Formats: sequence, C-alpha cells, structure tokens
Amino acid sequence: MSRDERDGGSRKSDHRTDGGQTAGRRESATPKRGLEWFERHALAILGVATALVLAVLFYYPVLTVFVEAVRVGGQFSLGTVREILTDSFYFGVLAPLLGGNFSELGDVAASTPLGLFGFTAFQAFLSTIASVALGLPGAYVLSRYEFWGRRTIRSLTILPFVLPSIMVAIGFVAFFGTNGPLNDLLGFLGLGQVNLLFTLEAIIVAHAFYNAPLVARVTTAAWEGVDARMVETARSLGANPIRAFRDVLAPQLLPAVLTGALLTFVFTFMSFPIVLALGGFELATVEVWVYSLVQDLDYSEAAVLAVIETVLSLVLTYAYLRYEARQAGSNRAVNPPPRKRLVPGEWTPSALAERAGVLVYAVVVAVVFVGPLASMVVESITGPNGLTFQYYQFLLERQATGASFQTKPGVAVQNSLLFGVAALLVALPMGVTIAVLTTRGGRGSKVADAAAMAPLAVSGVVVGLGMLRGLVFGVELFGTRLQIGGPVAIVAAHAVAAYPFVVRNVAPPLSGIDRSMVESSRALGASRVRALLDVELPLVASGVAAGAAFAFAISIGEFDSTVILATGSTSYTMPVAVERYIGNRTLGPATAMGTVLLAVTSLSFVVIDRLGGRFERG
Amino acid sequence: MKRRTFVKSGVTGTVVGLAGCIGGSGDDATTTETTESGGTDTETSSATTTDSGTETQTEQSLSGTLQVATYSSFVDAPSSSPGPWLKKTFEKRHPDVTVEWKTPENEMNYYIQRRAQGVDIDADLYVGVNTDHLIRIDDKLGNKELFASTGDSLSNYGHVKDSLKFDPKNRAVPYDTGYISLVYDKNKVETAPTTFDDLTKDPYSGKLIVQNAQTSVTGRAFLLWTVHTLGEDQYLDYWKQLKNNDVKILGSWDDAYTAYENGEAPMVVSYSTDQVYANRYDQDMSKHQVGFLNEQGYANPEGMAKFANTDNPELAEAFMDFMLSAEAQGKIATRNVQFPATDWAKLSAEFEKYAKVPKNPVTFTYDELKGNVDEWVDSWAREIASK
Repeated sequence: MSRDERDGGSRKSDHRTDGGQTAGRRESATPKRGLEWFERHALAILGVATALVLAVLFYYPVLTVFVEAVRVGGQFSLGTVREILTDSFYFGVLAPLLGGNFSELGDVAASTPLGLFGFTAFQAFLSTIASVALGLPGAYVLSRYEFWGRRTIRSLTILPFVLPSIMVAIGFVAFFGTNGPLNDLLGFLGLGQVNLLFTLEAIIVAHAFYNAPLVARVTTAAWEGVDARMVETARSLGANPIRAFRDVLAPQLLPAVLTGALLTFVFTFMSFPIVLALGGFELATVEVWVYSLVQDLDYSEAAVLAVIETVLSLVLTYAYLRYEARQAGSNRAVNPPPRKRLVPGEWTPSALAERAGVLVYAVVVAVVFVGPLASMVVESITGPNGLTFQYYQFLLERQATGASFQTKPGVAVQNSLLFGVAALLVALPMGVTIAVLTTRGGRGSKVADAAAMAPLAVSGVVVGLGMLRGLVFGVELFGTRLQIGGPVAIVAAHAVAAYPFVVRNVAPPLSGIDRSMVESSRALGASRVRALLDVELPLVASGVAAGAAFAFAISIGEFDSTVILATGSTSYTMPVAVERYIGNRTLGPATAMGTVLLAVTSLSFVVIDRLGGRFERG
Repeated sequence: MKRRTFVKSGVTGTVVGLAGCIGGSGDDATTTETTESGGTDTETSSATTTDSGTETQTEQSLSGTLQVATYSSFVDAPSSSPGPWLKKTFEKRHPDVTVEWKTPENEMNYYIQRRAQGVDIDADLYVGVNTDHLIRIDDKLGNKELFASTGDSLSNYGHVKDSLKFDPKNRAVPYDTGYISLVYDKNKVETAPTTFDDLTKDPYSGKLIVQNAQTSVTGRAFLLWTVHTLGEDQYLDYWKQLKNNDVKILGSWDDAYTAYENGEAPMVVSYSTDQVYANRYDQDMSKHQVGFLNEQGYANPEGMAKFANTDNPELAEAFMDFMLSAEAQGKIATRNVQFPATDWAKLSAEFEKYAKVPKNPVTFTYDELKGNVDEWVDSWAREIASK
C-alpha cells in the first residue's frame, strides 16, 4: 500500500467516529495516526485484498469453465450432467442406480464395475496408503534421531514434491526399467527381475515418491512439537510404551498424518501426466479424460467431470476440517523428547531391532527416491558413446547464442527464483490472513475454510483453461479488453496455488493458542494485527516457516498455469524449459536442464529452511 | 485491428499488468467480425501496414513484420529445427521484413479458442496444420473463418504433390509429410510383422508400444490406419485382440519412444524417417528398422495456412511461396526430418538413403474423417480405458 493511500486513509479516518478511542486526543493527523489507522484495519484490508486476488485469478477463470457444465448451445441445461452421472463408463455400478435402470445392474457389474471415477478413487486410495506408509517412518527418523546431515535431509524432503512430472517419469523409466540399474543390481544379487513399468504399481510408487515427503514433512513438524512430559507421566502411571504411544502420543500426531493423507488423496485423484507416462492409457484416470476433452474443445463434458472432481475433493476437505477443529484447542507446551543417536550407547535387543528397521527403511528410500533422481542425473552425462558433457554444453550454447524465440536456461533459472520469492511474499500474508479469519470459529468458518482450500481441489487442466480464456484472452469491459499475462499473472497464479499450504500449516497451531494471551494483549491496547504479529505468529513460527517453504516449492514446481500465462516469450520457468528441451530421440538436454533444476531447488530449500530456522528461534 | 506483441520486456522490465491498455475503438476493419475487440495494447508498431492492395507487389517492396505461429519443435528443437534457417534466409532476401515465430503452448487450439471467444488473432500465418485441425476448426467455429483460402495464388503451388493436398477448401497448403510406420529392433524381433493380423499373434505378445490416439499425432494416425485397413466395423475388435496381446499404450510419442529405446518393448509406432536420426546420432541401425504393415504407411501431411484476418496477406503469401521453394523444401525435410511435399526439393544424400517411403501410402481424406473421427477415437478410448 502506498504512502498516499495511507495518508488518504488517515484523512478519511477524521470523518469517522472510531469508538471514541481517539476522541479527546489533541493530535493533528500525523503519519503516526495514519499508521495506527492502518494497523487497526490491516486485517480487514488484507482480507479484502486476498479476496480480490482470489476472485480475479482463481474464481472468475474457473467459473467461466464450470459454467460450461450446465450450458448447452447457450441454454441452461442439465443434460450433460445427467448423461455423465448415468454413464457406467464413468460411474460403474453407480450409474444404473443413479439413473434408476436397476435391470442393467448385472450387466454393468460384469463389464465396468468401477467406472472411471471408481478406478481413480481406488488408485488414489492405494497411493495414499503407500505415501503414508513410506512417509511415517521418515518422520520418525527425522524427528527422533540426531545424525550428521539431518537438517539438510529435512530441508530436502520437500524436493520430490515439486519436481516436474516429465522429469520424474524420465527418472522412473530409466531406473525401474527392464534394463535399468535396479534390475541390473537384482540380477547381480540373483534376485530375478522386477517389471514395474506400465502397471498400476508403477503409478502408486511414483505417487508415493511425490507425496510421502509431504506426509513426512507435516508429521515431522508435529512430532517435533509434542510434549514428552505427557508420555513420561503416562509411563510413570504404569502405562507400557505401546499404550503410552497409543493414548498420549498418537492423538498428538494424528491430525498431521491425516492432513498429509488428505492432501495426498486429493493430489493423486487428480494426477495425470504420471499416469500416462508410467501406467499407460488402460489405467487412465478422470483427469486424463478431462485433459483430452479440453484438447478436443469439448468443454461441457470436461466441465462436468471437473465439477464432480472438485465437489468430491471439497467434501473430503470439509469432513477433514471438521475433524481438525475438534482436535484443536489442546493447548500444550512444546517439549519434544531428546533425540537418539543412530549408534546407540549400548546394543540392547530393542535398540538393535530399531536400528535394523531404520537401515531397511534407508534402503527403501534409496530405491524409491534416490534411484530415479540419480538415474536422471546419470542420463544427463551419458551420450550414445558413454560419458559426455555435450548436453551441458548445449545448455551453455543456448544461453550464449540462442535466438529470441528459443528457450535459454539462465533466463529460466532466474525467472523461477524470482517468481518463487515473489509468490512466497504474496502467499504468506494471504495464507496467514485466511488462517486468522477461519480460526476465529463461529458459524460457517469451516465452510469458509474448505472453500479457501478450493485451489487444491480444482483440476489443473481446468484452472489452466480458465486462465487462458479469462485472463490471457481477457474480458471486454466498456469497449476495452482487459488482459492479464506475463510475470504479474504468473506470480499471482503461483500464490493462489500455494496459499492453501500456508493455511494448512498455520491454522491448526493458531487455533491451539491460548485465547487468553491474545485477549490480554488486546485489553492492554494492542491492535488485532499487533497481537497477531507480536503474540500469535511467534508461537506458530514453525508453521509459518513450513508454509513459506511450501509456497516457494509450489511456485518452483508449477507448470500448468505457468506455461499458459507465460505470454511474453521471456517468462518461462525451469519446468517449462525442461519440457521444451525434450527433443526428438534425445532426452539429453532435458535431463541436463532437469539436473540444473534439481541443483537450484535443493540449494534454495536448504537456504529457506536455514532462514526459517533462524526466524523460528526468533 | 491487429495486436502486435508488446515491446519485449526483460524479467525486471515493464509488465502488461492488471490494466488493459486502452486502444482505439476498432478501425474500419475489413473483416466482418461483430465482436471485433477495440481495446488492444498501445504499442509502437514497427510495421507499416500496407493498404490492402490487391495488386501483387514486387519483392523489393515487401516490408513489415510477419508473425508466424507454429509448434515449438519447428523452431526450438534441441536436435534440429527448420525455423531459424527459414527466418534468416527469408529476412536476407527481404531486408525490410522481420519474421517473428510464435509458439503458443496449445498450438492450434490457442487460435481456435481465440477466434471462438472473439479475441483478435495476433498472427498472420500458421505452420503445422493437419486434417484433424481443419475438422476441429470447421466443427467448432462453423462459419467463423479462421484461415483464408490461398492455394492457387502461390506461384509454386503447382509443385505440390496432388496426393498430399488435404484441404478441399485450399486453406492449408502442404509443405511436408510424414509416414507413420513401425520401428523395431532386429535383434529382438526375429521376423518382422508384415500384416496387422500378425500383431495379434503370440510371437508379438507384449512387444508393441503405441501412443494414445486421443492426444498424440502418431497414436491417432495409427488408430486411423487400423480403421482404414480393417474397416469401421472391425477395428474395435482388432484393438481388443491387441489389448489381449498386451499392447502398451502410452501418452505421448516421447513417452513411447523413450520406453522403446530403454528396451521396454522391441517395437514402437513412429515415423518412417527414423533412420535419418539414427544415422545422425551414430546409433545402431539394427535397433532402428522400419516396418510397413501391409506394405502401407499412414500419410500425415502438414500444411501452412494464412489467417483470414491478417493485415499482411502479400507478405504471408510470399513466405508460403518461399516455404515451397526447392531450396526451402530440402532444408525443411532435412531439419524437420519429414518428406518434402513438392516434386522439386533438393534432398541431401543422407535423407535419400535413410528416409523410407511405404509402397502404398494410405490416408483418410478430410471428407472421410469429417463427422466420423471423433466417434472413432472416442469409441476406441472407451474400449481401452473402461474399468
């Protein structure tokens, strides 16, 4: 907000009665009063600004597409909706039930029992279980052990979450392939072959690759925030370790685990490039259909499918938020138990068993996470005749001599970092504002909270289409066409995609804060914002830092909207460059660019985490 | 009224932000658009718009900026692209002309959508039109014209092979063509399949990778080839047999070809020019054998078309003529690794040697596809993906 506006605001405040708070003070309208006024109204202003950004960049574009669901030939019609709901290809055995054709039930159950939606939900369910199973041990190791490099590894857990699917697919196909390093190793050990590619299992493992780190990250944060004294109390009262974990520790961790699970389910329900690249078309999901319908410009059917996807996701989110709200308010001290060393002081059987478990887990992590990424890096330095640096040379040449219509790696790196920082700066206040407004409780706040999660719940294909038609093409207003494109729109779109993560990281601890602290600071004359900045946010610093890391990460990894909004030829980012470097018969340049992306993002996350850590310790 | 691209801004430069710039309220446009947008970006157009002169202009008087839209690998492939050479050479011949490439992510859809929404089209020419595009344009836009007919007004049009002309309305002029075929690894496939029927047999179980016909050009061409050869009533049954024989259907040509190169299966649907690449990259030729089923290959010509509302018709046609010239035809073929569409292209010895032509090229005409292709692809997709 500019100074002029603030001054304007202070002038305006002379004309309003403000509860007598300034009455009787004999001060002229100084900038200080302007500041006071701003401070008093900051939350409201932020709230309005957030709503405005969301309306212009998210709701309006998406609704222009959703409206196609009920518009056939310019007329309002529910025909397409009815058609899809009663189509057994989409809804399996539900379709005859919804359509009232009970006689067809037997046939449908025999031919297409699941339908596309059923299969997609089944796939997402399995992916969620795999992600949680792979993420939880990671959270345990990261929060309960102390070892060299722990903080760096913790910073890097977010990395898989942001990698472009093109890169992940390349890495997976190379590593898990029939002739890939994994099978070479298994063959060397005499363990036979693994044929993972082009099966449902491949999709599930890839989804776990993406989402287990998310589960691990949110759970680690919760685990580092538990109150160990409660466990000790339970133990001293005679509970055995398992009982103490189940009754005391688990309830403190469950909300975080479920947050991770919910987000994972929603993401994997709507994933599609990975499905096609690693599973094949026979395992197509709803989003694959949405994509191809949009390619064919069949908007109405695509819109109906997308609306159904969104409704399902939001219902799930709402149910979860109701649960989260019931968990909140258990105001406890942060007092985690001391960390263990990887090499125990004495080798008791239980210590031995636990270390063995950690070792097995490390092997699994090496296979699922390190393997594919390392394979991609190896691809970038492997030519037809062995070791080569020609692909990196290609990147340098493109940077030096590329034509204006060609993609330069340096520009992509610079844009990615710039957009990432800008998106973080926009998404943090947006997310914190929404978190504050929705944790105030009151009727309907959970509905508002669920609605605030909408950007996660809408198909990426539809958001992209909406942005193209609503922003890039623009709208005609009073004879002028308003169009939005380029860096400003990209940053805003990234912030819209990222702020739900800030909300989910900040809202739960915020609602757990003892209200009396805020109330006493208010009673002592602090404004709402002052209380937020000085009392509440420091108490939830770790949540804010985690939200910031996510916001940056989402921006770095975002592809769908970026590619559409990069209307100028110079606003492309690293993921876009990776895609453009995929060439005929050679993945070299793309894997080299992917390796650059990997290096740049890894470094950024470590830096952000260190900065965040400093901020947490205040 | 046409929108020029705004002055290129660096990353930190000025941005076309939330405010749409206010422009004039539509000049006396010659198009019959009712929803002509008045507001455009105010810009300093370096182009001198010619009066829509009907007299043909001499070469020397060509000037201005020509905006050519195309798919990105035509100008920016890591391997080789015709784009840079075409721009450089054309600009050398016409010193007052600037060629600007535009590669919107959604390719042709981007312009169809713009036209459907009544937004001005900011390009003069599109390079990379195929039959599917034309059908989509005519289905979605009806009587809203996107491209203008050009064919006969080009001086080099006589050199275009008649068999490749795929647009009844002469909007799209072919400049190259590909033939869809099988590419296989001789070391893993003892006898190459020679008929469609072979592919459903046991020796080829799990050995073929194809692409999704909904979204991939090669995948769609292969599907249409099966419809063409086996008939409208038989092709779905044929695909059922392929599915039972464990055919792998991946998303894009890139996904499929990478899987093939990694040895996931010894046969893939690709282009018959495969060996040109294999030769360039010193790859093992035995892994790049081209196989034509039933001695056929499905022809997939690519064309260029002039946007109906271009304010640079002479310049656009001059560029199209240049694309059909003997020299450019040879360069396009070599750099895009597709066959020339004319009878006078100067081809390199490498291309002559390694690019394979099927004995009987087959393809569906515009009229055969119109009204059918969506149905065929949709039925196929449901057959494959039903759960």
